[in-house]
Amino acid sequence: MSTLLLIDDEEGIRKVLSLSLRKDGYQVLAAENGEKGLGAFRQNLPPIVLTDIKMPGIDGIEVLKRVKEIAPDTEVIVITGHGDIELAIQALQLGASDFITKPVSDEALSIALKRAEQKLEMKRRLKEYTHDLESMVKAATEELRRRYEFEDKLIQASIDGIVATNEKGSVVIFNEVASRIFGYSRLEAIRRMDIDVLYPTEIAREIKEGLYGKKYGEEHIFRWKEINVKAKDGQEMPVRFSGAILYEKEEVVGSVGFLQDIREIKRLEQELIESERLAAIGQTVAGLAHCVKNILYGLKGGVYVVNTALKSNNPEQLKTGWDMVNRNIGKVSDLVMDLLNYSKEREPDYQRCFLNTIAGEVCDLMELAAQEAGVKIIRNFNRAVGEVTLDPKGIHRCVLNLVSNAIDACRFDLDRKKDCVVEIKIALEDKDTVVIEVSDNGCGMDEEVKDKIFTSFFSTKGGVGTGLGLLVTQKIIKEHGGTISVKSEPGKGSTFAIRLPLRENV
Amino acid sequence: MGKKVLVVDDDADVRTFVTTVVEANGYTPIVATNGEEAMAKVRGDKPDLIVLDVLMPRESGIRMYRELKTDDALKTIPVVILSGIAKRTFLRSQAALTEFGGQAVPEPVAYLEKPAEPEELAGTIKKVLG
Repeated sequence: MSTLLLIDDEEGIRKVLSLSLRKDGYQVLAAENGEKGLGAFRQNLPPIVLTDIKMPGIDGIEVLKRVKEIAPDTEVIVITGHGDIELAIQALQLGASDFITKPVSDEALSIALKRAEQKLEMKRRLKEYTHDLESMVKAATEELRRRYEFEDKLIQASIDGIVATNEKGSVVIFNEVASRIFGYSRLEAIRRMDIDVLYPTEIAREIKEGLYGKKYGEEHIFRWKEINVKAKDGQEMPVRFSGAILYEKEEVVGSVGFLQDIREIKRLEQELIESERLAAIGQTVAGLAHCVKNILYGLKGGVYVVNTALKSNNPEQLKTGWDMVNRNIGKVSDLVMDLLNYSKEREPDYQRCFLNTIAGEVCDLMELAAQEAGVKIIRNFNRAVGEVTLDPKGIHRCVLNLVSNAIDACRFDLDRKKDCVVEIKIALEDKDTVVIEVSDNGCGMDEEVKDKIFTSFFSTKGGVGTGLGLLVTQKIIKEHGGTISVKSEPGKGSTFAIRLPLRENV
Repeated sequence: MGKKVLVVDDDADVRTFVTTVVEANGYTPIVATNGEEAMAKVRGDKPDLIVLDVLMPRESGIRMYRELKTDDALKTIPVVILSGIAKRTFLRSQAALTEFGGQAVPEPVAYLEKPAEPEELAGTIKKVLG
C-alpha cells in the first residue's frame, strides 16, 4: 500500500480527498499548510505528494522545491485553481509530475495518481535495471581483470622471453624472461623502448615491414632461428627467435616475439665439443704411448741382444742386435715424421718425377714383410703415366701407408685358406687426373671402422698402429689438391683410391 | 744340448729378444711366426717349453693354447704366455671359450705382460724347466 501526503489549507478538500484516496487504497497523511506538510514529508518520505499551490505561508511551489531537494524521485502532483495555468507550468518546470485543477474531480485525480504510480514503477524498474547493469558491468570488469591477470601470469610464467609491441613497434609486453635476456626491467622497456633497440637490425626491419607494409593475409610469421640480441650491458646474447605480426579484424595491432635463451645449450654444446676433443686427445695419447712403448721394447730388446753378444763375443749376434736397434730407431723417426707431417701446414715439395717409380720403390720396400705375411704383391702400373709433378716424398709416404695397411689387413684376416693379394694399380682416369688404387682381399672393414679412419686417430691394430697413417695420407693428398676414397666389405677386402690432379710444371 | 724352448711371436724383434734370452741361459731356441707353424714345430721338435704370444695374425695364441691343452700328447708341455694383453683379459677369453662348449683348460704355468725384463723372462723359464 502506497503512502500519500496530502497538503491543502481547506479542511473540506482535505477531508473529501482523504476519504476518496483511502478508498482507492492509499494510506493518506494530511497536512493543513506547507510547513506541516514538509514536516510530515521529512518524517515519512511518502512516494507521492499531492499539494495545493495557493496556501498561506509556504506555498505549493515552495513545497515542491523542497520535496525535490529532499527526495528527487518523489512524485509531486500540484492542485491549481481554475485558470492558474501559469503556476501549473511553473510547477511542471520545477519537476512536478502532473497537475489537477480545482474543483478536484475523482476521475482527474485517479488518472494523475495512476500516472504517478506508473512513473514511480518505471523509476523503480529503471533503478533496478541500472543497478543490475552496474553489477553486471562490475562482474564483467572483474572477469576481464581475472582474465587479464591470468594471461599476464601466463606471459610472465613463460619460459620463453615474450616481447609484444603495439602497431608502431613500441614495446607493450615484456615478460620476466625477456627482462632476464635483455637486462632491461619491465618499467624500462614497456612504452619506452622500440624493437629497433632490442632486435638486430634485420629482424627489426622485417617486423616493421610487417607492421606497416604487408597486407593482411600475407604470411607474416617468423620461424625459429638463432640470432644474437644485444643486452643492456652491450653483451651479445644468443637466442632462438620466432615471432608474428598480430591482426585484429584485418588491422595490424602489433607484433609479438618469442625468445629462447640458448646460452645454456650453447655452453653444453661447447662442453660436449671440449670433452669430445679431450677424449680424442686422450685416445691419441694412449695410442701414441702404446706405439712408443712397443718401439721402446724393441730398442731394449736390441740393447739386451747387443750386450749378450758383447759378453759372449758373438759377432753374428751382435749384428742381429744392432739391426734391431737400428730398425726401432727407424720406427721412432717414422713416427716423429708422421706427427710432424700431421701437425704442420705445409706446401707439397713439387718435383718432376715418375709415379710408377715411386710405387715400385714402395713395393720393393714392402716385399719382405709381404712374403712373411704370405701376401702376394701385384704391380699393375700403366706405362702411359709418365713424368708427373708432385711431392715424391709425400706420395711415397701415402702409397707406403696404404700398402702396409693392405698387408696388415691380409695378416689379420682369419680365413687361412685364402690366397692373399695386394694390388697396386696406377692409371690415368682422364687427361687431368691420375689414380693410384691399392686394393687387398684381406679382412675388410665394417661401416663403423670406415667412418672413423679419416676423421680420428684410430687404429684397429692394437699396439702396432698409431692411428696416424691414414690421417697423414689424407692430409698429404689434400695438400696436393687430390682426393682419397675407400670401398670396403668385411671379409672381402678394401680398396683405397687416391686421385691426384696432373700438374703441368713444377 | 740344453732343453728346447719354442718361441712363438709374429714380431721379429720379440723373437730375437726372447731367443737371445733363451740362448744366454743355456737353452736351445726354436722359433715360429704364427700358430700354424708353431703347431707343426710342437709336433715335430717336441719342445720342453713354449713361450707364446697371444695376439698373432692367422691363428691366435688363444686358439693355439686351447689346441695344446686339449691334446693329450701335448697338454703336459708347459706354456709361458708373453703378451701385450693383460692376464685378466686372456683368462676371461679362455673362460668364455670354455663356456661356449669347449672343455676347461688349465691356466698357463706363467703369464708375463709385454714388455718383460730379460731377468724376469729368464727367471720364469728357469723356474719352469727346473
